[in-house]
Amino acid sequence: MSDAVLVRSDHLCKTYPDGHVTALVDVNLRIGRGEYVAIMGPSGSGKSTLLNLLGALDRPTSGEIIFDGQPLSTLRDLDRFRAEKVGFVFQSFHLLPTLTALENVQIPMFEGRLSAAARARRAAALLDVVGMAHRLDHVPGQLSVGERQRVAIARALANDPVLLLADEPTGNLDSRTAADILALFDQLHREHGKTIVMVTHGQDVAERAQRILRMRDGRLLEP
Amino acid sequence: MYFATFILKNIVRRRLRSMLTVLGVAIAVGAAVALLGIADGFERSFLSLYQQRGVELIVVRAGKAERSTSFLDERIAERLRRLPGVAQVMGGLVDAVEIPGSGLQAVLVQGWYADSPLFDALRFVSGRRFRPDESHVAVLGSVIARNLGKKEGDAVSLYGEDFQILGVFESFNHFENGCVVINIRDLQRLLGVGNKVTGFQVVVEPAPNKQALVDRLRGEIEALTDDRGHRLPLSALPTADAVSTTSQLRLIKAQSWITSVIAVVIGSIGVLNTMLMSVFERTREIGILRAIGWRRRRVVRMVLAESLLLSLAGAVVGILFGLALTFALSRVPMAAGYVEGTIAPSVLLGGLAIAVLVGLLGGVYPAWRAARLLPTEALRHE
Ligand SMILES: Nc1ncnc2c1ncn2[C@@H]1O[C@H](COP(=O)(O)OP(=O)(O)OP(=O)(O)O)[C@@H](O)[C@H]1O
Ligand SMILES: [Mg+2]
Repeated sequence: MSDAVLVRSDHLCKTYPDGHVTALVDVNLRIGRGEYVAIMGPSGSGKSTLLNLLGALDRPTSGEIIFDGQPLSTLRDLDRFRAEKVGFVFQSFHLLPTLTALENVQIPMFEGRLSAAARARRAAALLDVVGMAHRLDHVPGQLSVGERQRVAIARALANDPVLLLADEPTGNLDSRTAADILALFDQLHREHGKTIVMVTHGQDVAERAQRILRMRDGRLLEP
Repeated sequence: MYFATFILKNIVRRRLRSMLTVLGVAIAVGAAVALLGIADGFERSFLSLYQQRGVELIVVRAGKAERSTSFLDERIAERLRRLPGVAQVMGGLVDAVEIPGSGLQAVLVQGWYADSPLFDALRFVSGRRFRPDESHVAVLGSVIARNLGKKEGDAVSLYGEDFQILGVFESFNHFENGCVVINIRDLQRLLGVGNKVTGFQVVVEPAPNKQALVDRLRGEIEALTDDRGHRLPLSALPTADAVSTTSQLRLIKAQSWITSVIAVVIGSIGVLNTMLMSVFERTREIGILRAIGWRRRRVVRMVLAESLLLSLAGAVVGILFGLALTFALSRVPMAAGYVEGTIAPSVLLGGLAIAVLVGLLGGVYPAWRAARLLPTEALRHE
């Protein structure tokens, strides 16, 4: 079943209980399989909230997300779904400081079926994909910020997800390093067929995507 | 990487705190293991004292809580011997004395008959046992002889009188090596108890159903009457019961159990504190772990594994500490007669069990807190 739409949201609303913040209002979107989409919008417009819902990190207040034909509201174990289908990349990398690059990439694999040796092999292969094969045994503190983000991207790929969600992945990087990371996303999109949804504040960054979604006050603006 | 490696790295990462937690658990487990070990060693030593001689029943005065200060007429031995199925009856008198100038405050003094079969189990390292007509003579167990620095030919002062040491023996039993044995006639005179004994050890004849024989004899012994038909105040206890109901043993058992419970409580609070702190500190990290695919269950496993690892490390250190403590105690003259230098494996397992309990008690609540964190909230946590 290779539906052209990978993720769809129907009348998605999210209200945070404390302070009754309405972060998302009636968001309807479709993201095609293999598509590369950027999300832009002012701070507080609900970009991260949307990304978290698409990645099954949180449940909507109302509305539905249909991922790969599967309504997420029908799933009891969102954790497992997330582990198998989604990879998250964050603005500030969020690597575990005491673990080496090779070990950081293996963390999500504990939920899979690979043996310890197979985990290490797969992590090394992924670090090779992101151009970090020469830094396997370095801890984050010994890496440049760009290198840290590469390791974080390798970690997001650990369980071979169909969807990569990146929340301002170049927000902490200088423009040259950012360009390298964006090239890596291009490569993952083109060569590895990953579907990518990337939140960004940079127009130039967003333009590398195939489509730009704009948000304001929790709503998706018409294109 | 193994999950265990990850757990270990988390522990090592907070080195000082982990070490202090391990130390806390170690002290708790060590104290419990040492005390439980001493109680257990005491009981087994005590039991072997009788079992090695084939003693099945101990006959003492009925209705007295403290058996070592109650007495029975020694002529009851004859009545016991006449019961069918009884092979041997060995009477004896027991007391504890302070030996002046030695620092030893409670040395067991046994009054035995010169021809008592109790001597059969002793191997004389030097000298000989006493004869029925000899007075003011003593034989010493090897441990007490060493602690007093006495040997054959020396004199030892008991109850203010000088006793000549005729020999030094080695018993199969640790307790007995800490005893002074004198002629029962001397001890009866010194205690002013005429011809009384503390009790009798009864060996029964071989029988296909020994338990039935022992049960029957118990009934018969407790039913014995005097000339006027009054029931004799006798209580015949199976050896194991006699040992486990000794008041001293009860006391030290109660103490060691109380200590163990306190150990569990203190250890658990220590682990709880450490783990709760580490969960709070890692709020954001736990959010990340959830975001990158960990299930609640794995976060729970991580926290529980960390707390179990801390407490098991504490158990290992604590058990070594307990072993060292009992070994040291067995070298202190005051305690040497009572404390064997080793701890039974079952007690060491008990120490591990305490540690597992401590790890679980201290880890469950923090694990629950960690599992309850919402990933999105945790990620926003500063
Ligand atoms: N866990 C939460 N609890 C309460 N309010 C929240 C929570 N997460 C987000 N919000 C609120 O929801 C709104 C949308 O937040 P969101 O993080 O999605 O915005 P954003 O577009 O990602 O902003 P930024 O560009 O600053 O990252 C904001 O008003 C924010 O304060
Ligand atoms: Mg955001």
